[in-house]
Amino acid sequence: MPSRRRTLLKVIILGDSGVGKTSLMNQYVNKKFSNQYKATIGADFLTKEVQFEDRLFTLQIWDTAGQERFQSLGVAFYRGADCCVLVYDVNSMKSFENLNNWREEFLIQANPSDPENFPFVVIGNKIDIDGGNSRVVSEKKARAWCASKGNIPYYETSAKEGINVEEAFQCIAKNALKSGEEEELYLPDTIDVGNSNQQRATGCEC
Amino acid sequence: MSSSQFDESVVRETDVEVEAPVESGSDVAWERTGSEHEIDQPSSPSSSGYAGEGGSTSATSASSLIEIQRDEIEEQMRIHIDEISISDSNASWIPGKRHQDEDDASISWRKRKKHFFILSNSGKPIYSRYGDEHKLAGFSATLQAIISFVENGGDSVKLVRAGKHQVVFLVKGPIYLVCISSTEEPYESLKGQLELIYGQMLVILTRSVNKCFEKNPKFDMTPLLGGTDTIFSSLIHSFSWNPATFLHAYTCLPLSYATRQAAGAVLQDIADSGVLFATLMCRHKVISLVGAQKASLHPDDMLLLANFVMSSESFRTSESFSPVCLPRYNPSAFLYAYIHYFDADTYLMLLTTNSDAFYHLKDCRIRIEMVLLKSNVLSEVQRSLLDGGMHVEDLPPIPHSGPSHLGQHIPPSDSPERFKEANHDTGGPAGLWHFIYRSIYLDQYVSSEFSSSISTRQQQKRLYRAYQKLFASMHDKGIGPHKTQFRRDENYVLLCWVTQDFELYAAFDPLADKALAIKTCNRVCQWIKDVENEIFLLGASPFSW
Ligand SMILES: Nc1nc2c(ncn2[C@@H]2O[C@H](COP(=O)(O)OP(=O)(O)OP(=O)(O)O)[C@@H](O)[C@H]2O)c(=O)[nH]1
Ligand SMILES: [Mg+2]
Repeated sequence: MPSRRRTLLKVIILGDSGVGKTSLMNQYVNKKFSNQYKATIGADFLTKEVQFEDRLFTLQIWDTAGQERFQSLGVAFYRGADCCVLVYDVNSMKSFENLNNWREEFLIQANPSDPENFPFVVIGNKIDIDGGNSRVVSEKKARAWCASKGNIPYYETSAKEGINVEEAFQCIAKNALKSGEEEELYLPDTIDVGNSNQQRATGCEC
Repeated sequence: MSSSQFDESVVRETDVEVEAPVESGSDVAWERTGSEHEIDQPSSPSSSGYAGEGGSTSATSASSLIEIQRDEIEEQMRIHIDEISISDSNASWIPGKRHQDEDDASISWRKRKKHFFILSNSGKPIYSRYGDEHKLAGFSATLQAIISFVENGGDSVKLVRAGKHQVVFLVKGPIYLVCISSTEEPYESLKGQLELIYGQMLVILTRSVNKCFEKNPKFDMTPLLGGTDTIFSSLIHSFSWNPATFLHAYTCLPLSYATRQAAGAVLQDIADSGVLFATLMCRHKVISLVGAQKASLHPDDMLLLANFVMSSESFRTSESFSPVCLPRYNPSAFLYAYIHYFDADTYLMLLTTNSDAFYHLKDCRIRIEMVLLKSNVLSEVQRSLLDGGMHVEDLPPIPHSGPSHLGQHIPPSDSPERFKEANHDTGGPAGLWHFIYRSIYLDQYVSSEFSSSISTRQQQKRLYRAYQKLFASMHDKGIGPHKTQFRRDENYVLLCWVTQDFELYAAFDPLADKALAIKTCNRVCQWIKDVENEIFLLGASPFSW
C-alpha cells in the first residue's frame, strides 16, 4: 500500500463570497449546478477520488466561506494544505483585486515550508455570463498577475456550463501531488495534519 | 413529577378565570425601565405639526422641556407607526413625505404585522425583517434617535404603544433591537423574541463585535452578517410555530428508551474524548445530547444552534466545520462545530473548543455513524417521524395499570381501524384538542400532535399565540405566581396548571365542560408520567442553566 501522504491530498479553495467556489466544487465532484446562492458557513468538506499516472488519490477539498466574518478562521483550515485554489469572478474587478489578499493571508496562516514555491492555482470563473460581455477582468491581466506570482497556473471556467472545470482540477491534483512529495522530504512536522485516521490510537490533541 | 391532583376546587380558590379576552386600549403609552407603570396619553391624531399641541399643554409644568421633547419624539414615532398602519387608521395618517423614496414608504412594507430591526447605536441599519436595510436608513435613524434620547435621560425605552401597534426596544450595548408589532402578543413575549434575535446574532459573531463599535462608532456591521438572512428569518418564523421560543425548554423526538440509550452511549464515548457537546438531532428535536463534565447546554442555545444549522442550506450538502458561539455558555468566544447530516432530517453536531479538531471530529462521526446504523437508530428516527408524538385521541382512561407505551393504542397507520377509532372531528376526550407539558426539572417540554380541529397553520399559530399569552401571564412577577388559569373565549377553552415540577397548557373545544376538562388534564399528566421514558431524555447529565 502506498503511503498516506501520497494518497490523500488536501486542497483549499479561497476567494470572495459569491465567486463560485462551492459551485466549482459541486460541478467537479457531483456534476451538478444550482443557480441558487447558498452561502457557505465556515467550511464544507468533500472528497473525490482521482486517477493520475495510474495511481489513485483522494482529493480532500475544503470549500471555505468567502464571507468576511470567516476570514479570521484561516489556521483551522489552511494548515497542511497541499494546494491552494484562488477563485475570482471575471465579471468582478474587486474579486480579482482581492486575490492578492487571499494569497498573502493563506501564506501567513498556513505557513508552508517553501512559500515561494507553494502550489497555487488561479481560476477565473463565470465566463459564461452574458456571453462574456459583462466581463471586466481580461485574460491578459489575470495571466500577468499569475506570472508575477511565480507562474501560477491559470484556468478560466464556468461552473454553470461545466467548462474547463475538470481540467482545472486535474491541474490542482497534479500540483498538490508534487507538493505532497516535496513536503514529505522537507517538513515531517506537518504530516500529522490530515491523517488522524491512522493516528487515532495515539489520540488527538483536542 | 408531582403527585398532586388538579381538581375543580383548587381552580376555584386560586385561579384566574377569564371568560373573554381583554382588549388593550388604543392609547399611546410609554413604559420605561425606571418606572414599571405605563403612562397613558390620549392619542391626538390631529397633531400634525410636532411639538405643537402636545407640547404646549405641558409647557407650564416644571419638566416642560423634557415633556416637549418627548412629545416631539413621540410624534415622530407616531408618524412612522402610522405610516406602517396606513391601512387601518385613516384619521391619524400623516403622509410619509419625508420618506417618499424609501422602502418604509411602500404599502406592502407598512402592512406587515410584525417588523424586526437591528441597528447600531449610531443609527446604522444592521438587519430588517422586511425591506432592504440600506433603504431603511432613515427609519433606523429615527429609532436610534428615540432610544438615545430616552437613554440620555437615564432611562431606557422598553415599550411604546401607538394605536394597534406595540414598539418594543431592547438595548444591548452598541446594538439596538426593535420590534414593531400589531399581533397583540404580550410585551414579555416580544422582548423574549428580541433577546433570541440578539442571541442568534451572537451565535454568528460573538459579543466581540462590540469591540468594533468601541474602536469605530460608525462601524458598518452588515458585511459581517453577509449570507445570514435566512438564519434570522427562519428564527422569526419559528416564533409562530416553535413553543421552545417562549418555553425556554427543548423537546425530544419520541423514541423507545433502548434506542435513545444506544444513541446516548456512543455520544458519551465521544464526549469523553474531548468533545464539549455532542448532540444528535432530528429537525428541531433532540434524539440525544451529551455534555462533557460540568458543561451544560442551555435550551435557548440549543434552539439557536439548531436554527443556525437547519436554516443554512450549505450544511446539508457536505460535512462542515464552522465557528459558532453559544451565548448562554460563553457569549465572548467561539466554539467550533462539526456538522454532518445523516439523512434529510437527522444531523449530528459536535462542539469543541479546538479549532484544529476537524479530523478528530470526523473520526468521531464515523464511529457514531457505525453505531447508529448497527443499532437501527436512524431507521427508528424515521419511524418516529412518521408516527408522530402524542396524539390526544390516544389519551388512555385514568384507571390505568401497567406500563404504558407511546402509541400502543395506535394500530398501524395503514390500518383502516385507525380511522374508525380516532374521532378526528372532536379530538381527544372531553374535547381535548392539544396540550403542552413542560418539565421544569428536565428543561424539556412535550407538545402533543394537533388534533384535526387545529389543522391549519393559521389555527396552530393562533393557538401558540394563546399559549404564549398564558405563559406570560403565569410568569408575570407583578401579579404573583398563579397556580391555575382557566380561560374561555370563542376559539377555545384554555387551561393552565403550574406546579413546582411542571407546567401544563391544554386547549379544549370552546364548549368543553370545565370539570371534565380538569379531569382530562389529570389524565394527561398521568399519561406523560407513564411514557416519560420515551418522550424525555432522562438520566443524562443535568442541563442546568
Ligand atoms: N452564471 C454563472 N453563475 C455561477 C457560476 N458559478 C457560480 N455561479 C452562481 O454564483 C452564485 C454564488 O456561487 P457559490 O458557488 O455559492 O459562491 P461561493 O464562492 O461558494 O460563495 P461563499 O460560499 O459565500 O463564499 C450562485 O448563485 C451560483 O449559482 C458560473 O460559472 N456561471
Ligand atoms: Mg460557498
